[in-house]
Amino acid sequence: MKVAPNRLVYRYALLTRASHWIWVVAFAVLIGSGLQIFNASPNLDASDKSDPARRVLAIGSPGDGVGTTTVFGRTFVTTGWLGWTDDGMGSKGARAFPASVIIPGYQDLADGRRWHLFFAWVAGVCWLAWLISAAVKGSLREMVLLPSDVPKLWPMQAYYLKLRKEPPPHGIYNPLQKAAYTSIMLAIAPLVVLTGLALSPGIDAIANPLTVAFGGRQFARLWHFAGMLLLIGFFAIHTFQVATQGFFNQMRSMITGWYRAS
Amino acid sequence: MKRRIFLASAASALAGCGPIGSALNNSAQVRNILASAEGLNRLVIGTRGLAREYRDRDVDREFRVNGFATPSDASYQELVARGFAPYRLVVDGAVDRPAAFTLAQLQRMPQQTQITRHDCVEGWSAIGKWSGVRLSDVLDATGIRSDARYVVFRCMDNDGQGNLYYESLDLHQANHPQALLALRLNDAPLDPDHGAPVRLRVPTQLGYKSAKWVARIEVAGSFAKIAGGMGGYWEDQGYEWYAGI
Repeated sequence: MKVAPNRLVYRYALLTRASHWIWVVAFAVLIGSGLQIFNASPNLDASDKSDPARRVLAIGSPGDGVGTTTVFGRTFVTTGWLGWTDDGMGSKGARAFPASVIIPGYQDLADGRRWHLFFAWVAGVCWLAWLISAAVKGSLREMVLLPSDVPKLWPMQAYYLKLRKEPPPHGIYNPLQKAAYTSIMLAIAPLVVLTGLALSPGIDAIANPLTVAFGGRQFARLWHFAGMLLLIGFFAIHTFQVATQGFFNQMRSMITGWYRAS
Repeated sequence: MKRRIFLASAASALAGCGPIGSALNNSAQVRNILASAEGLNRLVIGTRGLAREYRDRDVDREFRVNGFATPSDASYQELVARGFAPYRLVVDGAVDRPAAFTLAQLQRMPQQTQITRHDCVEGWSAIGKWSGVRLSDVLDATGIRSDARYVVFRCMDNDGQGNLYYESLDLHQANHPQALLALRLNDAPLDPDHGAPVRLRVPTQLGYKSAKWVARIEVAGSFAKIAGGMGGYWEDQGYEWYAGI
């Protein structure tokens, strides 16, 4: 689609904007409560059942005042950050992730699960509604990153960094936006949802091939954690892009729907 | 400038998640809304299908001991000392024929063996080989009255403050073909640390459903008047009654 310069275009439908901000809240809660749940058993094993021989990540406290993080058998001292951290009640103790990033902000697996499982529904229903709507309206096609878009990714970023005068030719969404939408909506979101389901015994009984596909329950927990890291990586890149690619214009378009086309 | 403000506010928003969550967490209304997910999970997932069964070589020979401490009171010590000869599994409440099964009687009933994974709510899992009597066989033997809704398991272990462990299943879950009153673990009689002489196995739900040291099975129309009224020791502490997820 070709648009005249400096014209406002209505780019984001209400459902998209509403979903976007609901996801901001939901993902923040899901990460915080997920870390709370992780803290109850701060190990990740690449196996079906727990197996120290196949441990990929272990956060622990070998002694008072010391926190360690072991990744693929290599141990790092992470006192204060991981393993030996603040407990949210004014002192430090053996705790994988610090109380400041977990929900609720003290050790409470039961409530952490309540937050997690509720916002999993919020995020999941929102995702499904958006996906169906975008597919029916045909806008999904304009958002998916195609192989032909890949060579345009760097030129687009170069344009935003003012290293290049003109953006590469593109449709209603530029290649960087397509990459963002495709990675979060069609790769990371399904990975996180499916791995979360796969590690539940009730789902395992109904859809065992799903759990097996991820390597079993503990492996699904590992993938679920990895999906969370990808999600945080997405946030970092996404906020960087928003901040460098016309912050005001971007924020307005995701609040009102109107985007000033360049 | 705007960018700096934005990044600073984003960073502080992330750092504030915990404390804000804690404040919201204490609101009764928020808690009720959050709890609504449990009903949805129960409705959508429910208790369908069968837990995966494993091969002998998958079994954890040293099955992890978890939960409350092994009962240390005199009456349990006596049961252990006498090879559980005085033990009776009492089945009463909304049943047609209340009964008290000896261990020998349970051992003479048809035995089921399952090699299933125990999924703890904390996040770890272990595989054990469990043998024993199907819960549904015991319930068939006593008959269930039409006003029965739940099967409540009363246990011998306590939390150190005198609160006895208990759990509950609805009739559908209790009649699941893998709901087992386990008498053996890994080809040996259950030892005291693993819930001897009888423990429940519910492999389609999280481990806290699989109550150890079961002394009495009480069939009831409701569990509202039992202990904290939420249907189980951990449920009384805020965990979900539906433990399939």
